[in-house]
Amino acid sequence: MDTIIDRGAPKARNFEPYASNGGSIVAISGKDFAIVASDTRLSEGYMIYTRKQSKLFQLSDKSVLGCTGCWCDTLSLTNIIQSQLKSYLYDHNTVMQPNSIAQLLSTLLYSRRFFPYYVYNVLAGLDNNGEGCLYSYDPVGHCEKVNYTAGGSSGVLMQPFLDSWLGNRTTDNPVTEEEALSLVKDAFTAAGERDIYTGDEVVYNIIKKDGIQTGVVQLRKD
Amino acid sequence: MSIMDYNGGALIGMKGKDCVAIATDKRFGIQAQTVSLDFTKVFQINPHTYMGFPGLATDIFTVYEKIMFRKRLYELKENRKISPKALASLVSNLLYENRFSPFFVEPMIVALDEVTLEPYMCDMDLIGCVNKSDNFVVGGTSSSQLYGLCEALWEPDMEEDQLFETISQALVSACNRDAISGWGAKVYIIKKDKVIVRDIKTRMD
Repeated sequence: MDTIIDRGAPKARNFEPYASNGGSIVAISGKDFAIVASDTRLSEGYMIYTRKQSKLFQLSDKSVLGCTGCWCDTLSLTNIIQSQLKSYLYDHNTVMQPNSIAQLLSTLLYSRRFFPYYVYNVLAGLDNNGEGCLYSYDPVGHCEKVNYTAGGSSGVLMQPFLDSWLGNRTTDNPVTEEEALSLVKDAFTAAGERDIYTGDEVVYNIIKKDGIQTGVVQLRKD
Repeated sequence: MSIMDYNGGALIGMKGKDCVAIATDKRFGIQAQTVSLDFTKVFQINPHTYMGFPGLATDIFTVYEKIMFRKRLYELKENRKISPKALASLVSNLLYENRFSPFFVEPMIVALDEVTLEPYMCDMDLIGCVNKSDNFVVGGTSSSQLYGLCEALWEPDMEEDQLFETISQALVSACNRDAISGWGAKVYIIKKDKVIVRDIKTRMD
């Protein structure tokens, strides 16, 4: 005998693959250095998951990737990049150059054109000539080489500020390391005042030929 | 796209030392199409009282006329100039009367009190919730960009010249990152003995 189970009215179950976890990235490149910085707040809606999560990923001794957006996609993406870099190292016995990593990242992102990694990437490094280089991406892999950029939840607040300081620079008036660092701090302090998804701390990496220097700056915690 | 973003525009008010400033872009457009280049959204209400109206262009004029009507009635009845604080209440009341079919403007008041010459500054949302400010107010389609710039550039007790530089730099840089703001700008510096009005050249693209 068949039993009929009443399951009530049909319910729709929606698949929600993406979350928005906030966070911001600022990066500036100079003559012999590149600086990339992120805040350390990881949040969703009105909830702060942690106040101590850097969004910077060191890929080699002269390239650092900054990622904001959906944190699970960030983790997935950075894992894939890091294993690809390892394969490249074992195959060629050389560390991949930042310009090659830039192309790899673009290809990787575009391979998911119709189900994208919801991640905004900024790749900073030192190129073959030892000069600072910076690549900014959209989630589907459009790549642009820039001199400075701001991205993530406060990108819209910080980008015009950087424009006003760095937009009209020429080669005979290059940005110095000290100036770049103070601009990064000022940009984040300003953004932390108005954006609830940016705050707690700023971690920055200054990439130079003799290594990567790391530092922390305190931001608003509320 | 929200109806507040239909015409585009950017506005800032800033407080300095014994002076205040208000700045507007000059673009008037219909969505992405630019229509005219001399559309300032700032109006003089009294000698030291100015108002800026970010939002839907048609409602800017409607609300401005309605405010002037009530303000004149107030000044006839009271036989004195309206204070910025009373003006804020007047505007807030007008907007909240239309709570369920609002005018799509978010007015800002930037003034020196006509009697005490005390700086006063506020902005409100489209249904009249007043937000008094001691540093700066922003409005329009590039308000996010303006918040970022004003937070970074503003400092207390700026003199007239520095205030002008700051407000101009904030407006121009913000407009350069907003497709539907810009195309020229106008800055008003309000001091106790004079009001300085300057036109600013900007990128025209």
